[in-house]
Amino acid sequence: MTLETLRRIDDTKIEVPVSYKNGMRVNGIIYIDEILEKELEAQSIDQVANVATLPGIVKSSMAMPDIHTGYGFAIGGVAAFDLKEGIVSPGGVGYDINCGVRLLKSNLEKDDVLSRMRDIVSILYADIPSGVGSKGKIRLGPEDEKRLLLKGAKWAVEQGFGQPEDLEKIESGGCIDGADPSLISKKAYERGRAQQGTLGSGNHFLEVQYVDEIYDDKAAQGLGLFQNQVTVMIHTGSRGFGHQVCTDFLEVMERAVSKYKITLPDKELACAPYESPEAQDYLSAMRAAANYAWANRQCIMHWAREAFMRVFAVPLGKLGMALIYDVAHNIAKIEEHNVNGERRKLIVHRKGATRAFPPGHPELPGIYRAFGQPVLIPGDMGRASFVLLGTEKAMRETFGSTCHGAGRVMSRHQAIKKAKGRAIGRELEDRGIIVRSAGRETLAEEMSDAYKDISNVVDVVHRAGISKKVARLRPLGVIKG
Amino acid sequence: MSDFEVLDISGDVGIKAVGPSLQEAFINASLGMYSLITNLDAVQERKEIDLSIESDSPEGLLVSWLNELIFYFDAYGFIGKKISIKKFSEKEIEAVVRGEEFDPERHEGKLLIKAATYHRLQISSVDDSWEINVIFDI
Repeated sequence: MTLETLRRIDDTKIEVPVSYKNGMRVNGIIYIDEILEKELEAQSIDQVANVATLPGIVKSSMAMPDIHTGYGFAIGGVAAFDLKEGIVSPGGVGYDINCGVRLLKSNLEKDDVLSRMRDIVSILYADIPSGVGSKGKIRLGPEDEKRLLLKGAKWAVEQGFGQPEDLEKIESGGCIDGADPSLISKKAYERGRAQQGTLGSGNHFLEVQYVDEIYDDKAAQGLGLFQNQVTVMIHTGSRGFGHQVCTDFLEVMERAVSKYKITLPDKELACAPYESPEAQDYLSAMRAAANYAWANRQCIMHWAREAFMRVFAVPLGKLGMALIYDVAHNIAKIEEHNVNGERRKLIVHRKGATRAFPPGHPELPGIYRAFGQPVLIPGDMGRASFVLLGTEKAMRETFGSTCHGAGRVMSRHQAIKKAKGRAIGRELEDRGIIVRSAGRETLAEEMSDAYKDISNVVDVVHRAGISKKVARLRPLGVIKG
Repeated sequence: MSDFEVLDISGDVGIKAVGPSLQEAFINASLGMYSLITNLDAVQERKEIDLSIESDSPEGLLVSWLNELIFYFDAYGFIGKKISIKKFSEKEIEAVVRGEEFDPERHEGKLLIKAATYHRLQISSVDDSWEINVIFDI
């Protein structure tokens, strides 16, 4: 099959027709414009088509404009399955379970922090463990770890990391029900023991930013955002704990595929029927990992607040560092959606995609119910990040989902080669961005040139109406692993 | 080529390893993976771990074996430099890995590997030469 078989539906989406590949039960829809389509990898289109062959898939196999090739499922993929006929697949969530983003606001303005950025970045870098082989400051005993897996961010608040009012501004309240610590392997416990409260490496980061453009005054006001305001963004997930849960259950699912006689076009799509014990066990373990990630972002946020309190020598209340929101972008959840006029419970897989619920949705906290769910889209360290809101159209078209980030265009190796002879840290500094990174090669691998331009990605979801732009945030200081 | 080289793919990274036997290719794939985490020249043989892995195919064995090494690094910071195989078949491996605990002061942190994957995984042989292609989630 060739790319010519794809059909452009409108300027923001293309269809992968059922005729694209044998066995497709539904079509594929990729939200992408003509600019980003030029960078669309043939393999990722194939992955969208492969997901469309899975049992019980509902409506369409979808992908967001930040699509790129993943394992089994494309990154940027959204797929919902029927609870009777459908399946659950760890590959539809990814290794970094509940990798996600949170955003903190403050009373500070850009000019208040510019002269202190070097101090702020140094303290953040010293206080927040990051990088390959780093250990966290928290050591979890077996009982602590179990409580953490059941309670998520609530556990962190109970330990003194942050405040109870943070919790309502986290997707699922920072604690998803149905986690079962007894289904977690000894290996996952061992990997998770010293990694709570650590940033990790790769594309994970903590960023001090400022609001440099507001697209929707009323919505920005509703979220408490204003021009030049300082914000802090945290992007990390469930660390080695979640990676091990995924590794463990890929093995379980591989056996389940032959047990339940599921035909797969790609081994990495290993899955089990939703009602099977294998799928239920995976979901219970995945929820434990999701809770681990919410606790992780909560702890890191607490230390970020403390760092600001030290630099400005004022109490937290004066800094106004309240949480705006926290979203997951690698997760599978049971949600209710309208499908052809019928209300159905589905298991929605989002892998590199963000939930984007509309105004009035009962899962939103009261303060945001009039506006819609805040959607946080991290960009690369040199360009920008965005705050969007979920919409009714997303609910109708994409199971209430939107994009999650920029998506790579260059391999790590290519990026390192391209950065040769350049001092990326200095280049960023010349543009007013102070960066500290544990890894020598991380800055090269993660440089802006290695990523799609986040503005293009966000423009597509905005124009498609599956979320709407509220504000753009520019980096001032970045901590990388 | 040397015993292993880095495979360049967008988003993640892989290792292509060769050897005169499947066993040697396994060792080279393992060292290739370790070299993605840190520069092995700075790693010393101070500690050893005994590992034994079983699977029902060579591909399954390779992925489980590499994931075991990733586990020992991620949970205990253990980074290997030398691998001595005690028992080897296409479905079973028993080995001693010598190396030491990762120390950010002495060891460069390169890539944080989440897992070894089946994505485009290939194990092949031509005459007396074995080749492994394996991709890691980063």
